[in-house]
Amino acid sequence: MSKSLFESRMTEDVKIRSYYGKFIFNSHFLVFLMIAAGVLLYTLLSLRESLNPSIYIDVLSAIILAVVLNPKYRTLLKEADMLFLPPYEKHMDNYFKGAKIYSLSLGITLPVVTSLAILIMLTIGHDVLTLSLFFIMAIILYFNTFSIKTLAVNTNLNRLAVTLSYLFIDFTSLFLILIHPAFFILAVILVILSQIFVRRHVFENISWMNYTSYEKDQQQSYYQTVSMFTNVKSIDKSFKRRRVLDFLLPVYKGEKFDKKHMYEYLFYRSFIRDHDLPMIVLRIMILFFIIMFWISNLYVSLIFSLFGIYIIVLQMSQIYTAQAYLLWPKVWPVKRSYIQDSYIRYSHKVVFIITLIFLFIFIIIHPAQFYLSLIFPIWGYLLNRVYSKSIYKKEEELSD
Amino acid sequence: MVLELKHLTGGYSKEPVIKDISLNIKEGEIVGLIGLNGAGKSTTIKHILGLLRPHSGTIEVRGKTLKEDVEEYRRHLGYIPESPILYEELTLKEHIEMTAMAYGLTTEEVEKRKGPLLKRFRLEDKEDTFPSHFSKGMKQKVMLICAFIVEPDLYIIDEPFLGLDPLGIESLIELMISERDKKRSILMSTHILSTAERYCDRYIIIDQGEKIADGSLDDLREKTGLLNATLDEIYIELTGGNVDE
Repeated sequence: MSKSLFESRMTEDVKIRSYYGKFIFNSHFLVFLMIAAGVLLYTLLSLRESLNPSIYIDVLSAIILAVVLNPKYRTLLKEADMLFLPPYEKHMDNYFKGAKIYSLSLGITLPVVTSLAILIMLTIGHDVLTLSLFFIMAIILYFNTFSIKTLAVNTNLNRLAVTLSYLFIDFTSLFLILIHPAFFILAVILVILSQIFVRRHVFENISWMNYTSYEKDQQQSYYQTVSMFTNVKSIDKSFKRRRVLDFLLPVYKGEKFDKKHMYEYLFYRSFIRDHDLPMIVLRIMILFFIIMFWISNLYVSLIFSLFGIYIIVLQMSQIYTAQAYLLWPKVWPVKRSYIQDSYIRYSHKVVFIITLIFLFIFIIIHPAQFYLSLIFPIWGYLLNRVYSKSIYKKEEELSD
Repeated sequence: MVLELKHLTGGYSKEPVIKDISLNIKEGEIVGLIGLNGAGKSTTIKHILGLLRPHSGTIEVRGKTLKEDVEEYRRHLGYIPESPILYEELTLKEHIEMTAMAYGLTTEEVEKRKGPLLKRFRLEDKEDTFPSHFSKGMKQKVMLICAFIVEPDLYIIDEPFLGLDPLGIESLIELMISERDKKRSILMSTHILSTAERYCDRYIIIDQGEKIADGSLDDLREKTGLLNATLDEIYIELTGGNVDE
């Protein structure tokens, strides 16, 4: 029974992933990925020619690989399982076995691709034995991290502490091997100790509450990632008062205190107080700026700036979609066009500010080609205009 | 006439939930829309609000249909849903301001009207708080304040007493009576008949999607021949004890 239960849930999950996959891996994103991969490969090969062996390359490689050696663990359990499954606890082995195999298959691409990129870098100054031991250890660590993650769910161990611990173990183990292949033994000891430690804390019975809450977090985390590319219905929206940013929120009086401006009033608050959105925008910008600074290539900076603005515009639209389908816009005596006008005014301003930040960063990196960055505000404006129109069109079709 | 429904048939799908309902509400009336769970009260309300499209029949608010003028139609309606629906990102003050902007109130009108309402529902010191952190009863009070601040011609209140504490219920009843005295009307759906009996001027009884009675308590007593009966007893007599859940 437990096997068929997992299979039905896995089918459901695969359907969800393929549904959102269509939005994420659309033609624009695939083109971007191909260009980015080409540029990255070209840059790595150029670096390989020009760089000398260095401890910094080893440290960076170990850090990057340690971060990506982080397989997902999706049990696909639902909250109701807390009530209905405990009587079958002793017969759930096949369910959890299925969950482990499925989970391992989900997160394998990133470590494989990253390992290949790191292999190119590590050929600078390392022999075949070191490289072989390094990648054998990477495989061991991948499974060790997965095992720790699956075990730790059924313990009282703090999740953040567990995450930091395996990041530390993974980084240390990989880095030690790069220092000297003999340290492979030390790395194996670290792995064994980590297993012993976690296993000593595992509960005798299944903590259903731990499992369901962990799965819920994993699911939300997946939806949050997807929401960077498209609107996600199932995502739990939460908001946070950021009093320090209250000065950015418009307060309308007089003529502007009317139905034409009320949604602008709301959209700014939704954006500034959204628990995740400002942080996602900030993370995208920081990540892209780091890559731009690191690679310092004109074409990479252009592509990453344009793509960063594209993702952020997609992100912004979730504010409109979230409001448009609520009850009050359908009850209040306010024309739909006022909501759309408010959104376009609000989003143009926010997108303009973001494109200016990209513009300044681009000018800092490539001062001689500063004029190229002038395209960013235009790109942001056009994208926002086209994308907003497509949302309104979709909304009209749904309301019909 | 503030509200007029003529031969309204409708529902969520092709299968009608409410059938051939005609009713009207005059100025200064509190009308109870009575029925058990699943009788069709909320469906009727959703049609009046324009959230559902009728299969047939018409709905007029102040002589206008939704198709004729959406803004004018909605301007006369204030709605208080059964479960509070709030913007998690807005404070209580901001909820009031959003509602006021939607209904075309000036900032001066808001300042003048909100004080007494906040005091009545004991939320004066919560203006700067997110209502999403309130208890269910307090959230319902926010809904009430937002509806009553705009002073519409017709209040549509779905199960008004759910979640309110006894003081909140009394405040709401006082407010409803005071609005009626100002010639504003209230359509209130409920299945708590003993409370409805205390202050409604008229009752529209719906059973299995059909209107089976419409009148004051005395009218209903006369119709059923139960002279000293309560609204509960009249309802059971009219529906034959049907429980459509």
